[in-house]
Amino acid sequence: MGKQIDLLQGTLDMLILKAVSLGPLHGYGVLLRIQQISGEQLEIQQGSLYPALYRLEHQGWITSEWGESDNNRKAKFYSLSAAGRRQLHAATEKWNRMASLIASILRTTSEQI
Amino acid sequence: MNLLARFRSWLKWIVRGRRLESEMEMEVRFHIESYAAELVRKGMSRQEAMRQARIEFGGIESHKDAMRASVGTRWWHELGSDLRHGCRLFCKNPAFTAAAVLTLALGVGASTAIFSIVNAVLLRPLPFPESHRLVRITFNEPGLGLRDVPFSVPELDDLRNRAGVFRDVSAMGSDSVNLTGTGQPERLEFLVTNSNYFSMLGATPQIGRLFGPQDFALGFAPVVVISDGLWRRSFGADPNVIGHSIRLDNDPYMIVGVLPPGFHHPGPTGSGNIEVFNTAGFSGYPAPPPARSTRILPASIGRLKPGITLEQAQARLTAMAAQIRHDYAKDYPAQDQWTIEIQPLQEALVGNVRPMLLFLLGAVILIVFIVSLNIANLLLARASGRQQEMAVRSALGASRGRLIRQLLTESMLLSVMGGAGGVLATAGTIGFILRLVPSDIPRLNEARIDWVVLAFALAISLLTGLVFGLAPALQSAKTALSSAIREGARGSGYSARTGRLRDALIVSELAIAVVLMVGAGLLLRTLRDLLRENPGFNPTQVVAANLSLPEPDDPKADPYLRAAQQTSFNRELLRRVRAIPGIELAAITSDLPTTNIRLNDHQAINAVAIEDRPIESSPGLRAERIRISPDYFKVMQAPLLRGRFFTEGDEDGKQPVAIIDETTARKYWPTRNPLGLLLRFGQNPTQPWMTVVGIVKDIRSDGLDTDGIPHIYLPIYQSPDRDLSVVLRTSLPAEDLEPQIRREIQSIDPNLPVFNVSSMNDVVDRSLASRRFSADLVGGFAGLAVVLASIGIYGLLAYMVGQRSREIGLRMALGARRWDVLKLILGKGIVLAVVGIVVGVIVSATSASMMASLLYGVHPHDLLVFLSVPLLLFAVAVLASYLPARRATKVDPMVALREI
Repeated sequence: MGKQIDLLQGTLDMLILKAVSLGPLHGYGVLLRIQQISGEQLEIQQGSLYPALYRLEHQGWITSEWGESDNNRKAKFYSLSAAGRRQLHAATEKWNRMASLIASILRTTSEQI
Repeated sequence: MNLLARFRSWLKWIVRGRRLESEMEMEVRFHIESYAAELVRKGMSRQEAMRQARIEFGGIESHKDAMRASVGTRWWHELGSDLRHGCRLFCKNPAFTAAAVLTLALGVGASTAIFSIVNAVLLRPLPFPESHRLVRITFNEPGLGLRDVPFSVPELDDLRNRAGVFRDVSAMGSDSVNLTGTGQPERLEFLVTNSNYFSMLGATPQIGRLFGPQDFALGFAPVVVISDGLWRRSFGADPNVIGHSIRLDNDPYMIVGVLPPGFHHPGPTGSGNIEVFNTAGFSGYPAPPPARSTRILPASIGRLKPGITLEQAQARLTAMAAQIRHDYAKDYPAQDQWTIEIQPLQEALVGNVRPMLLFLLGAVILIVFIVSLNIANLLLARASGRQQEMAVRSALGASRGRLIRQLLTESMLLSVMGGAGGVLATAGTIGFILRLVPSDIPRLNEARIDWVVLAFALAISLLTGLVFGLAPALQSAKTALSSAIREGARGSGYSARTGRLRDALIVSELAIAVVLMVGAGLLLRTLRDLLRENPGFNPTQVVAANLSLPEPDDPKADPYLRAAQQTSFNRELLRRVRAIPGIELAAITSDLPTTNIRLNDHQAINAVAIEDRPIESSPGLRAERIRISPDYFKVMQAPLLRGRFFTEGDEDGKQPVAIIDETTARKYWPTRNPLGLLLRFGQNPTQPWMTVVGIVKDIRSDGLDTDGIPHIYLPIYQSPDRDLSVVLRTSLPAEDLEPQIRREIQSIDPNLPVFNVSSMNDVVDRSLASRRFSADLVGGFAGLAVVLASIGIYGLLAYMVGQRSREIGLRMALGARRWDVLKLILGKGIVLAVVGIVVGVIVSATSASMMASLLYGVHPHDLLVFLSVPLLLFAVAVLASYLPARRATKVDPMVALREI
């Protein structure tokens, strides 16, 4: 494992929404998927995933259902709800705007002012 | 934010919490095991993999807490665990729990019972539609110092047609009548009103109909409406009673309707237990023809028009009264200042019991206070035993708020258990309690445990829980953060901060106890003084029985039409009862002493004229007229001061005579000997003058607490009366005599009901019922307060001795004598007692004057009460302090030292 990046405050929710938007996942699956997509570069404290999952479900952005896991064990699967899809969309927009803004600020050189 | 989704999820957690908890557990386990499986695949041993997975997952319980917090059910979960923890603690300490719950149940139960009465009598609106618009109308003559004087039919018409503020006005008068023809003759309370009375109140019948315009009559309409009680008692709840004829004072009336069980005449006349309602126009026979100055109507109730406030209506009536005084100057002498006043009917009805009930409510709330202070003290003592637990909890990460919440949950649990116990106890005993309450309190029949009472009980319980829980909770949460762990298992002594708080609790308890004791002392002294007061007669070995001759409107139905007929009845009555074995003396009176209590003293007091004194110059000459048979004063053993008693010879056709009491003599002939002088009642010059032949000592005719009303006694053979009481001097009990008295009276006239046969002592006692009730109740409360306060002092000092036993042992090892130790502990108790008592005395002294209306003949700052209460409480406090102090002297220095 290379040097890992700590998760930015408030981005975990967004990542979870993204992860489950690609298909229903159980909690452990969410962790694996985020690590997989990020190329193992993000450090997520495993336990802290669950309060976030519960919070998102409480807000109605994801729904849960008990089902069978790959190894035939009972697991709780989360999937994105319609409200969650809207939320993910809005959050992505906002993130992109923010990121490009910050990037452009950081690119600024003294001549440009 | 989707509120609905959140609420749904929250509700799901609350409702299905247990299942969701286990799902949470499963989900976490699945995660850890899946991760461990992966680690095993990478070559780790199974055991090592599980360990690694757990470490990387982080603290499972704290994550679970965070999950609960995410869905907003964490506090709920914590509440559950606090409650379980509390229950376990209480179960482990059954003695503490039982003591706390029982005292609480006592406090809450007592206050709930009192409040249910206050609620029914003072708070709940009268059971009529829009009852806030019902008013009592009174006519006053402040110039003569008279309130609530009678009024005339033209004045009633003014209220209706001229005032413009009432939608309805009904005049009313009450009386009692003999009901005959339904078995044993009965005496009933009877109310006569205008025909709009029921529609004004908004009453509806149970069966039949109530009065309406078709019942209008100048005199009495020949129809009656009866109460539910009479219908069940005398007519077996027969639905065919409508159209039935009954005889009231020998006149026939047809029953047209039966009232529902909840209907009670809302005063102001009658006892409130009116059973027969009749209607009249008050302007034809037997009433005299209407005239402004023919004031025959005793009372009235009105319903204000919608949209008119009480103040507006009063202003209009005051203006109208002024106009009437001006228009009919000869009927309204300027010096009378005749005027009209209105008052909300509910206030008018219960106004005279309000001070007593509020006083009782205040007393019982003080008791609840003492109870909670006492429990606070118990909890404080327990809290110092739990410092360890709190310190550990706080070390494990519980915040201060969390600890306070835990302790408050425990005390609330306690208070809710106590409150529930109290409410159950009250619900079970309310019927019994109401029987102890004097029945002359209006609306008592409406007392029940309804949701208002339950809300009060809940509020009181929660409030006490908060009061007694908050101080200990704050205290232990504070100490938890300090160095309790370092101090080790043993408490280090009596810490100054907790100590001050506990001292303050004890001082307040003692102060409240003083307030209650002073209140009780004043009431009990009033009662004792009243009982000791010479009523002017000797009630012992006297039996009294009431009877009333009928007074029919139809002269042909009246067997007692002429005075001679009444006189011969009276003589026959006396002859027969004297013949009953065991009767020494017998007499008749129109007014039994101490029962003559009226709602309105004006109406009973008649104007008197005195020879040689022009009426105009002495308008205030009034006296109460009492008719008696010759032996009356001998039966009552009332002493004659001058002159003579009446004799059999003082009869119709002879020289009219009168006997006056001391008050009359003092008031009207302060400088002369009244014997042989002439007086007469009323201003009618055709009335004969009566010669004063005797002066007797005052008899408390109007109640033991009513003094200074002049009385004039007339021989019943000259001035007959139809409402009679027979008084018998005998050593036999009233119950044994009752059948014989009834038999003798009914053998003269079988249609006469004989009622209220009882010993004169009971009669006097009943007249004090409500004073006795409040004095006994507050006395009981005060006793309870003393017990609780002394338990408080004892508990505090015993605890202190326990905490400081090592210090005491050390002192003794270093040479302190037993006396020094005794002084140490006893001194503490005495200081607390003195401070508490002084505070209590100051509070009592500043607030006692509020009690003035409940006292009679006792000053609110009565020296005896204010001296004896502190002394008594001090003695109790010293005793309560002595027991633990003595135990302190028994501390074995060796044992105590070894413990250090």
